[in-house]
Amino acid sequence: MKNIITLFSFILIITSCDVVEGPYLIDDGGITPVDTSSNTYVKKVLIEDFTGHTCPNCPAAARELEAIHDVYGTQIIGMALHVSTGFASPWTGAGKFEYDFRTKWGTDWDNFFDISNSGLPRGMVNRIGYPNEHKLGKNEWLAAVITELEKGIDFGIRIASDISGGNGTITINTELLNDVNGDYKLVVCLTESNIINWQKDGQTENEFYEHNHALRTVLLDESLSTSSSYTAGNKFERAITVSLSSLEQYNIDYSENTAINGSGNAGGWVAENMSVVAYIYNTITKEIVQVEEAHLTN
Amino acid sequence: MKKIIFLFSTLSISFLGFSQEVNFGEIHGDFDLNMQSYQEDNLIGAEPADEIILNNAYLNINYTKGDFSAGLRYESYLNALSDFDDDYKGNGIPFRYATYTIDGLEVTAGNYYEQIGSGLIFRSYENKGLGVDNAMDGVRLKYSPVKGVYLKTFIGKSRTYFTYSDGIIRGADGEVNLNEALNFNSKTKIIIGQGIVSRFQLDNNPKFKLPQNVAAYSSRLNIINGGWNYSGEYAIKLNDPIGSLTSEGNNYANGNALMSSLTYSQRGFGIVAEMHRVDHMEFRSERAQEKQYIINYIPTLTKQHTYTLLALNPCATQPEGEFGTQLDIFYKIKKGTILGGKYGTKISFNFSRISALNGGNSFLNDNTEHTPMLISIKGEELYFNDINLEIYKKINKKIKVTGVLAKQAYNKDVLEGKTPGTYGTVNSTIAIADISYKIKKGHTVRVELQELLADGGDGSWSMGLIEYTISPHWFFAAQDMYNWGNHDVKKQLHYVNINCGFLSGSNRFSIGYGKKRAGIFCVGGVCKEVPSSNGFSLTISSSF
Amino acid sequence: MNKKILLSILASLLFTTISIAQKSTLPSVNVKTLDGSNINITTIENDGNPIVISFWATWCKPCKKELNTIAENYEDWQDETGVKLVAISIDDTRSMAKVAPYVNASDWDYEVYLDPNGDLKRAMGVSTVPHTFLLNSKKEIVWQHKGYVDGDEDELLEQIEKLSK
Repeated sequence: MKNIITLFSFILIITSCDVVEGPYLIDDGGITPVDTSSNTYVKKVLIEDFTGHTCPNCPAAARELEAIHDVYGTQIIGMALHVSTGFASPWTGAGKFEYDFRTKWGTDWDNFFDISNSGLPRGMVNRIGYPNEHKLGKNEWLAAVITELEKGIDFGIRIASDISGGNGTITINTELLNDVNGDYKLVVCLTESNIINWQKDGQTENEFYEHNHALRTVLLDESLSTSSSYTAGNKFERAITVSLSSLEQYNIDYSENTAINGSGNAGGWVAENMSVVAYIYNTITKEIVQVEEAHLTN
Repeated sequence: MKKIIFLFSTLSISFLGFSQEVNFGEIHGDFDLNMQSYQEDNLIGAEPADEIILNNAYLNINYTKGDFSAGLRYESYLNALSDFDDDYKGNGIPFRYATYTIDGLEVTAGNYYEQIGSGLIFRSYENKGLGVDNAMDGVRLKYSPVKGVYLKTFIGKSRTYFTYSDGIIRGADGEVNLNEALNFNSKTKIIIGQGIVSRFQLDNNPKFKLPQNVAAYSSRLNIINGGWNYSGEYAIKLNDPIGSLTSEGNNYANGNALMSSLTYSQRGFGIVAEMHRVDHMEFRSERAQEKQYIINYIPTLTKQHTYTLLALNPCATQPEGEFGTQLDIFYKIKKGTILGGKYGTKISFNFSRISALNGGNSFLNDNTEHTPMLISIKGEELYFNDINLEIYKKINKKIKVTGVLAKQAYNKDVLEGKTPGTYGTVNSTIAIADISYKIKKGHTVRVELQELLADGGDGSWSMGLIEYTISPHWFFAAQDMYNWGNHDVKKQLHYVNINCGFLSGSNRFSIGYGKKRAGIFCVGGVCKEVPSSNGFSLTISSSF
Repeated sequence: MNKKILLSILASLLFTTISIAQKSTLPSVNVKTLDGSNINITTIENDGNPIVISFWATWCKPCKKELNTIAENYEDWQDETGVKLVAISIDDTRSMAKVAPYVNASDWDYEVYLDPNGDLKRAMGVSTVPHTFLLNSKKEIVWQHKGYVDGDEDELLEQIEKLSK
């Protein structure tokens, strides 16, 4: 008798189900994005979306990134890295997919973090989980973003970009908000959005797809300072001279000479659509502790 | 020192002496080791492993004494073989349990495997060859209140690699054998069962309402009457959206699956007719995760082939939507008849066909609603088709022959998850001859010749195998797979492999060397991609 | 140093005597019959005669070879030794429906049971099939063998005959 009771009480505990009725969209305006207009620093998250223009499942990941950005606002910074010979190498003579979005740094990071071997689309959120759990499918990005946004910040980054006619200087100011120990590196990249070109999207081939936050170049990837311990209030300034035409030429040369099946068709940059992305990461854990984004031109 | 010697000898003698009367319980287990070396081979695209040698090893130990049993399994991946996910890393004891039966109530705490019905809504199992192990960690109760009624309930988290899922899984199952329970003697036996599984996971999606408790139900019926046997199961999974932030990513439709099989058998003849219809029925232990988190089991409705070229292009169940049928006929032509010959001839016929659902699976969200037709075969995309005939004949005391003829259609794009239009459907015709010749008592040589003719995919293949066995301990085998029909001349390669092994009692050692072709290895509804490799392999397995 | 060696020798002797001394019996696990009921494997009986338990699957060629070869001489074996062969199929839901038709079409006279989720297989330490066990009159496991090659049935018969003497 007591066995039946044990069993039934157990069954009662476990039988439960929810049926959610439509409409499924929460109509309360969602989350109010954190106000990033004031002078105080806030935690920002970098989502690196490894993709390719002949990867038909990849636009879904880009849309997921946009959706996360819609909810959380400017705290989310995206970067699309076109990698892998299979999904990103340009076609020749086909009249489509002829652009080469690949870059030397995108390919290097893909090899180091072993992303495209696990299939595309795949990405990283602030590179957390390295070395075993950093490769996240698009459906895992939201949970990672939520965890990251709850973390406090030790670093603040401010970007000042003074570019005109394709030349100028970018100044990165880093400030310590707490006492911190560790080795950190500062990375400064340029990304470009609104690039209209071919993309496979599910069963279709879209000639006028809008490619956003595509990585163009890495201006800097160096230690933040020679020291391994920082005190609150420490400030570091880095000024980088930029010549867009030579950066563009570097990519064209890379595509033509180094990349597998490259075509040299990697130019046509539009400065007005470009942004500066700067982030600081811990050299041991690889975790990105702070990131900032600003338009290249004003 | 003397004391220690005295203590040990007393213990040993007492064990030997008392073992006849006192039950100290039993310890059993088994050990498996699989080691491979990986050399670079540019021809077949084999990558060398940084570690050069990769190794998987398992040790199971079980202790039983009367109604109590406990055990554990030690697993070691240093590092995992290349055909395993590289998330299997390191060593650990991922499986440990204790089970006790009191008054018929069986309680298990720790890790356990369990299956509800056919597994359509829940199956926790392991298949080391495939790298599948989704053991549960929690508590399970089993009880049979009266004869013929079986109840079980469990709660726990499902295992993926060396960690457990975020979702909490609860389930219960009841099965009633009407004849035994209601105590009537009839030629017809009826068994009914009902199962329910529910997964709990918090909803932290800021944009969409997600159900936190996702439940799945299944009802099954089994009717047996003499040589007839009908078995059917119907399962429903309530709304289970992935939790994406995009509207198109979330599918709130209910999933469902129906499995049905009717068999008839008598001496010398058996026939099996099966069908299944699956619609949005993939059930995972965590909402947004990948295939390693699947906790249900939808078996592939095709014949599990053992000959290499028949299994070259294996079918994989598409749990999001497919409709399949299968027919098997087993017949033994009696000995003494003209066709049967002196010993009789055995014939096995199999037909299976898997196709898509009309318009894809059920879909429901704020913008779209789609439910596929119940049965629609005409015009639906074909996923897989297999028709094969196997004839086995013992010619005389020394020679046994098996011949197989098959025709398969394999939708490479869908079944391998490639971009539609990349490969299309591969049609292949396959012929196999398997001859074994007994040289003398205990010494047998077996030759296999296989031929696959195909146009798409890799093209045509030939395979030859020769195996020499010496009962009861030794076997030697050499095989060659030749891709002579590949459209790319550089890929028309030989994959040669030699193997030898020693078996004694419950121990088995085998060493091999050669090239393995990249491919897909499927068991049940689970497939894994295996990369090509070149090197030595060593397998040791033992039970105690 | 000497002490350690002596200690380890004694320890291994102890474990050896334990394993020699311990009996190996069937675990208390349920299996399904071909007509849908559940039975506990410990309830199989053969009036004190030897019992052979063989794990097989419809997709395992050597398993089918073993059981078909024994089937040709099963009647003689039974007359001579009274042995009973219990064939446990580890076919899961994918091929479970084919077990009974295959068994009947092959004309086997064995007792066939189903172990679809591998419970008995794991409890008896079976990792690959075929795996055959021989039980004596007290239902203790006295011999086991992994794999099958042509001619192994002769060794099995030898072991069975040893028991029935």
